[in-house]
Amino acid sequence: MTGSRSPFPRFLSDGSFRPVMVGGCVAAFIMVLSPLAAIIWVSFFENKIISFPPTGYTFDWYRAAAAMPQFRDGFFTSLELGVVATLVSLIVGVPAALVLARGRFPGREAIQSLLLAPLIVPGIVAGAALYMFLIEVELASGVQVAMTFTGLAIAHSLIALPWTVRLVTASLVGLDPQLKEAALTMGAREFTAFRLVTWPLIRPGVVAGALFAFIASFVDLEKSLFLVGPGMTTLPIVIVNYLEWSIDPTIAAVATVQIAIISAGLVLTDRYFKLARAF
Amino acid sequence: MDRVVEQGIQGVSALAITGEGSLTGGRPAPGGTDRRRRRSTAGWLLFPSLTLVLAGLILPLALMARTSVAHFDAASPDLVGFTLENYARFFGEPFYLMILARTLLVALSCTAICLVLGVPAAFVISRVESRTLKTALILATIIPLLMGNAVRAAGWMVLLADKGLINSALLSAGLIAEPVRILYTGSAVVIGLIAVLLPFMVISLESVFENIGTAYEEAAQTMGAPPWTAFFRVTLPLAMPGVFSGCLLCFVLAMNAYATPVLIGGPSFQMMAPKVFEQAIKVYNWPFAATIALVLMAVTLVLSVASSLALQKRYGVL
Repeated sequence: MTGSRSPFPRFLSDGSFRPVMVGGCVAAFIMVLSPLAAIIWVSFFENKIISFPPTGYTFDWYRAAAAMPQFRDGFFTSLELGVVATLVSLIVGVPAALVLARGRFPGREAIQSLLLAPLIVPGIVAGAALYMFLIEVELASGVQVAMTFTGLAIAHSLIALPWTVRLVTASLVGLDPQLKEAALTMGAREFTAFRLVTWPLIRPGVVAGALFAFIASFVDLEKSLFLVGPGMTTLPIVIVNYLEWSIDPTIAAVATVQIAIISAGLVLTDRYFKLARAF
Repeated sequence: MDRVVEQGIQGVSALAITGEGSLTGGRPAPGGTDRRRRRSTAGWLLFPSLTLVLAGLILPLALMARTSVAHFDAASPDLVGFTLENYARFFGEPFYLMILARTLLVALSCTAICLVLGVPAAFVISRVESRTLKTALILATIIPLLMGNAVRAAGWMVLLADKGLINSALLSAGLIAEPVRILYTGSAVVIGLIAVLLPFMVISLESVFENIGTAYEEAAQTMGAPPWTAFFRVTLPLAMPGVFSGCLLCFVLAMNAYATPVLIGGPSFQMMAPKVFEQAIKVYNWPFAATIALVLMAVTLVLSVASSLALQKRYGVL
């Protein structure tokens, strides 16, 4: 406990304080990371029935998982949904963020809470409610929306929207309005000022918002649960359905692929926008 | 006379406006016109997002409230009648009250354990002096937060099963003679949920500790307070708003958990969110499913508001 090599401030290093705090921190990270580490490890096991220690290691389960149509379809459905939801949430969310960041106006708080509400209403409640609503729409109009891609796209756009609104608003709030006014004074048109001044400044927030929106849509389980149908199932639901029957290295390989995609997405996001600011 | 003056003023102001317009390239003058124009563009900019939320969330929730007071008829999907029988059934049957009580108990224990583990983790992250280590720890918190519950549940199934890693390790170490049943019990659900919720607690607390800074702690210690005293008497009271919002977030998310109880709690450990799905999709009793969903939402909301009011009295505005 000399403190000289520790990354922790020296004044916090007397007595039991530092060991207890660091111990608690290590325990917390073990709780959070051990299930992810376990599933990655198991995906390389040679034996089909999981037992410890493994008889050997192999990459075969990745090939096996890629060959199973349910995982392939689920993966591409989730990917398409994520892209559509992200685009919709940007198209409707960025204009809303531009208004919200302008500052105080009557009703601003209400509008902001309404746009962030999809984050607060529990997924299972919102999913069940949307399903009932789409069934009523179908009964009234004869157009099937529930259990189609459109229904899922509506649900996923709602999952994505709060993230784009929140992150783009956050990046706009720190922006000096005088920068744009300066451009307007110098004769730039409204759109030119946006393209050359505002956009480069908010781009990190938009990119981060888009990546968060995509990830939130990609991993969603509860909200999609009611809306998926035959031939139209997302990857997390395929994983849950499979896990209800058995757990083997194949599903571990699928889970590892999801872990890799999301980690890569977040490490990338962190370069544009400090992740801690998103919460 | 008055009329002439009025016309004159109108003429001058018209001239001023057109003059202004030609100077700035046809844009209207600042002031009243501009403000009105901004308000109308604001409307157009907000319209698509508000429509999406209203049509995709608010109207469906209103319909759900209507469904919860409809009479259940297995033969037709139409909403018929106004009745409180679904609510009477929920609050009249000990079976459903037990599920609600179990959900509350799980949510409260998870929140308490997350607080105990989350405070040291967040404090250490906020006080680490190396930039690289701090970034790594924040990424290690946020990546699991956004990982999705299905993947994590799979990890716990591998760890906690009868032939899982923990039992195998304990057996080969000779600490136990028979595998201990952990998976498909209440403790497994609590463990699984803690892993899901802890990152939310750590992230809420980390930014608060970061904003408080080290000056107060240093001041307390300069005046002779040992680290523990400085932490519990100075830092933690300052962090109370963050502690509260972190706890609230954990509690709400635990109340609504679906994947973790279904996958690692097994069929006998029932909680509220899985019951909503079961009633709707397996029993087709939509009115009762809507009732369970609304009871879940209402209980969560009432407890959140009540606790924030109680804390506001104690600590002032949070």
